[in-house]
Amino acid sequence: MSTLALIIEDDEDLANIFAEALRGIGFEVEHVADGKMAQERLKNGTPPFLVLLDMHLPHVSGGEILTNIIKKEKHLAKTMVIITTADARMGETYGDMVDFVMVKPISFVQLRDLTSRLKPTEE
Amino acid sequence: MNYLNSILTVPTLDPDDARRRRVLNILLLGTLVASIFGLIAVVIDNITDPKVISSETQVLLGGIIVFTVGVFGIYQVNRRLSGRWAALLFLLLLTVIFIFTDSTEQLVNGRSLFLFTIPIVIASMLLSPGASFIFAALGSVIIIVLALSIRIFPNAPAIIGFFLVALASWLSARTLEQTLAELRNINANLDQVVTERTQALAESLERERVEAGRNQAILNSIADGVIVFDRKWDATMANPAVRGMLEIPLELILNRNFRELIEHPKLAPRSRGLLSAMVEHDTQPIGFRIEWAGKTLSVSAAQVYNNRSENIGTVTVFRDFTREAEVEKLKSTFVAIVSHELRTPLNAILGYAEMFKEAIYGPMNDKQVNMADRIMKNTQRLLGLINDLLDQAQMEAGKLTIKMAPLRPAELLENLHSVMDKTASDKGLRLTSEIDDNLPESLNGDVSRLQQILVNLVNNAVKFTYKGSVHVKLIFPYQDRWGIEVSDTGRGIPASEIPYIFDTFRQVEGTATRVHGGFGLGLSIVKQLVNLMNGEIKVQSEVDAGTTFIITLPLVASEATQKDWTIS
Repeated sequence: MSTLALIIEDDEDLANIFAEALRGIGFEVEHVADGKMAQERLKNGTPPFLVLLDMHLPHVSGGEILTNIIKKEKHLAKTMVIITTADARMGETYGDMVDFVMVKPISFVQLRDLTSRLKPTEE
Repeated sequence: MNYLNSILTVPTLDPDDARRRRVLNILLLGTLVASIFGLIAVVIDNITDPKVISSETQVLLGGIIVFTVGVFGIYQVNRRLSGRWAALLFLLLLTVIFIFTDSTEQLVNGRSLFLFTIPIVIASMLLSPGASFIFAALGSVIIIVLALSIRIFPNAPAIIGFFLVALASWLSARTLEQTLAELRNINANLDQVVTERTQALAESLERERVEAGRNQAILNSIADGVIVFDRKWDATMANPAVRGMLEIPLELILNRNFRELIEHPKLAPRSRGLLSAMVEHDTQPIGFRIEWAGKTLSVSAAQVYNNRSENIGTVTVFRDFTREAEVEKLKSTFVAIVSHELRTPLNAILGYAEMFKEAIYGPMNDKQVNMADRIMKNTQRLLGLINDLLDQAQMEAGKLTIKMAPLRPAELLENLHSVMDKTASDKGLRLTSEIDDNLPESLNGDVSRLQQILVNLVNNAVKFTYKGSVHVKLIFPYQDRWGIEVSDTGRGIPASEIPYIFDTFRQVEGTATRVHGGFGLGLSIVKQLVNLMNGEIKVQSEVDAGTTFIITLPLVASEATQKDWTIS
């Protein structure tokens, strides 16, 4: 089982913090800062185990990327999706489509604890 | 007829005098015409036999001429000088003429005796009621003198008869004059009343005119557009401002039904429903906004009642709200952007501080951990303030929504404890909670907004309590209400401040903000959220003993279909 986590987040600092949290518990981390690039990456590269998706992105919105992951990219069927948003309402709107919703501000510890529970057990 | 009237007219204002003189004129005219006919008759009689003109005829002719001239003279006196003198002269002339009309025997004892009653009767009418007695006396003297001149005994019954005629004339003339005087009095009173009424009417008409003019002037000078409708929604009044605001001529508004205006293409289709609702359902005083010709107009309507409390129509006021609407939109966009842009870097600060605290990059000493902790706390406080501002802005813009979903009351308290326990214990306070035994285990509500209410109230309680506890209870006071009770053992709120505690940007004693932190938005947001949920909030407080906030909310059973609504 892959331990790849894809962070789609346009803010460099947040991406950095999220990456540290995920790396700390043994994830391999990849980061994309732009919606368009995220689309490309999801289409072609190795299917990640986990996607941490910011809903407010330049060029292509998080909502669109999410729809793609669920409806178009069949090879991502097993990928877990956590969305991050500052808007609690948006979280409620997409809540049913994803595994978890994290409302910003997102705590380092909170993210670390959540993802460590999700991480595949090493066999 | 006019000519005849002008002949009879006399120059006097006294109604009695005028009446007498007019009667005298009529008599003079009559006798004049009679004497002219007499003259013509005498002349015709003598034409048949012109050679024999007896001395009698000569006297007759002379008499008639003298009489005619006399009558004419008296007429002039009556017209120009005095009615009394004219009447006296006329009566004397008649009396003198009568003396010569017949033989002395006939005058004192025979067929011509009655002639002397004529001046008696006329005198009562022309001079005064009492004058009839004077002419009765004069007549009596004349027949006595005439009787003595032919040596016969004066006719005593005739004299008595004269005085009886005088008495009758006096009575009737007097009655007539009294009646006329009364009539004149009544007339005068009537005139007075009519004059007064006319004047009052004129004054009230003038007042009304001034009032209407003033109302129109006020209406014309109002910058807001005003249209007054009657009960059928026909426009009866509109001021010039309406024309500018709606950009259509007043003719398209006045005397037309409002429904025609609603169909106008300048009205944005989505605003049509609001106006239709107002017209069709006669809704009570309301305010809303419509879009007309690219502008935003605020509309307020108030029903008009007369003094018998009958609805007589509606006044609608249109105000150009375009600028305000733009500013409002700008403001909420600004607040939304600013809050988002502020939150992202704060999230980063929070994350890095946490990483320090968690010693991600190597061991940290206690002081460093403590510092990281302080950075985190302050950042969280800042985030809380931004959230409050954003909520306030959203509520002002009417954008904050309440989303109903099934919830477990117990979960509300579990979450509250997880968030607030540390805050309370840090201050040495106990945070306790309980749930009414009868409260259903599941009901409908907006979890995140209820959570926000609880956190705000508990935060507030902790802020103003220095020892003791904060107790939260979920209550079930009535069959169809449930609620939240948050009580503390804090310093309490003075009674004089209670009315203001829910005001935006307010803390008790004004300066408290600096001591306790916060914008004073917490309670204001709580109250607005409670209002959005159709609930009520009350506060009981005693200085230095504690404060209790009690919120009651409509109980919506969780089986009910989930629904969203926006209150704007």
